[in-house]
Amino acid sequence: MLEGHISKAFDGELAALHIRVLEMGGLVLDQVRQATSSYSDWDSRIAQLVADREAQVQRYAGTIYDDQVALIARRNPVASDLRAIIALAKVGAELDRAGAEARKIARTVLQQSGRPGRRTSSDARHLANLAITLLRLSLESLDRLDAEQAEQVIDRDQDLDAEYAAGLRRLLTRALEDPGALEVTVEAAFALKSLERIGDHARNIAEQIAGMAAHLARVSRVP
Amino acid sequence: MNEPSQILAPAVPAPAMVAGMNLRPAGRGPQTSRLEGAAIGQTIGTVTVVDPVFSCRDVNVHYGAKHAIKNVSLDVGKKQVLAMIGPSGCGKSTFLRCLNRMNDTIAGARVTGQILLDGQDIQDPQRDVVQLRARVGMVFQKPNPFPKSIYDNVAFGPRLHGLARSRADLDELVCTSLQRAGLWDEVKDRLTQSGTGLSGGQQQRLCIARTIAVKPHVILMDEPCSALDPIATARIEDLIDELKESFAIAIVTHSMQQAARVSQRTAYFHMGSLVEVGETDRIFTNPRHRLTEDYITGRFG
Repeated sequence: MLEGHISKAFDGELAALHIRVLEMGGLVLDQVRQATSSYSDWDSRIAQLVADREAQVQRYAGTIYDDQVALIARRNPVASDLRAIIALAKVGAELDRAGAEARKIARTVLQQSGRPGRRTSSDARHLANLAITLLRLSLESLDRLDAEQAEQVIDRDQDLDAEYAAGLRRLLTRALEDPGALEVTVEAAFALKSLERIGDHARNIAEQIAGMAAHLARVSRVP
Repeated sequence: MNEPSQILAPAVPAPAMVAGMNLRPAGRGPQTSRLEGAAIGQTIGTVTVVDPVFSCRDVNVHYGAKHAIKNVSLDVGKKQVLAMIGPSGCGKSTFLRCLNRMNDTIAGARVTGQILLDGQDIQDPQRDVVQLRARVGMVFQKPNPFPKSIYDNVAFGPRLHGLARSRADLDELVCTSLQRAGLWDEVKDRLTQSGTGLSGGQQQRLCIARTIAVKPHVILMDEPCSALDPIATARIEDLIDELKESFAIAIVTHSMQQAARVSQRTAYFHMGSLVEVGETDRIFTNPRHRLTEDYITGRFG
């Protein structure tokens, strides 16, 4: 969808934007991995790495925004080109928010507030794996504009939501058993919520890709 | 533990990601096969409008052996701008010229099909072509004022068609036409000076004033801004927007952005056929034919 213009330079500019969004996706995906690993292992060194790299995520978000504005101003894109640029803008914004959730998780570790118990930690790890998988699949579908895979992400986000609800129930049950661990419970609930939100961002990314693919399918179906 | 793969390494694009970045779905090959693969036949979209000024059905134009327009059916609606776009030689100008029988002047040109203006066939051999062209005005690519005064340029049509009963009537008509063309303030003190002494943009607005002075139903414009700078173009586009309240306007333009800016309906022509027509908002955001999509996004043309 991004190639085939008479102007090869336009092809190149769109491809560069696409690559930059994918790069940002790779960085955010790793931020989520590291943040969740720092939380379940209670490792403030890794949490610090996540905090340090937050500026890098912000730089990507800024550059992508500037590139999009310049592309629109210079190329006056329409139809599928315009849709692609807007979709990439939205993906960039979703990645930015997913990165912010990773930072929140890392901050809990950095502040050394509410170290989770073994069972809570295990729940968080399970939820994190689901969220990371969804984010990874959504980025792969962005890479290949794979509508089928994007649809899978949209469907599987429901599983993550169900796991989140179950994890939260277990957390509350444990809190009732041990009312002294209130701070742990609150922090753990926030962490679980962040992971659930990361899944939502992955789903939103997948929806952008499914939308782009659906538009192209409509155009292509016409004889 | 279900460890995710490392396909998306942080901050570094894997070569596979870049190499595999073919975001076109299968079947959208390189340029030539896309063109060959797309059949042109029936027009996509609604060719009719509720309140047509022009109603054209199965129009065909031959220039000798060349089949320049193929079965085009299209309405031009009241109080709206219809933009006709397409690559060079696609037939958009030829179609426009059918609407005021300009093709009559071309030897070997043959126009068939039905072209109704307010319900009456303009192809009728009995029809007075001079009267027709008074009802269907035309503005050309290159401003073509007569080598006469500004006043006489605008007064020419009303005099020819006897639209003014007195000098005062004519003065009034010249004044309002120039005002509606957005030129009055710039020329009111030099109406006796030659129209050819004006700038390109002013000349084009003079031609528009001359066209509207005879109170046409429809104004045809054949690339009216292609010889103008961006500021003069913006003035003409603004004028088109105002004029559409009083006239039906059909404009041929090579600038897709201009079509997007000024029109309410857009028709895309390709190799003599009308491929797709629809509301301009839809054509430029959600084209349904691959040829339209490829043309407006700059993939061929």
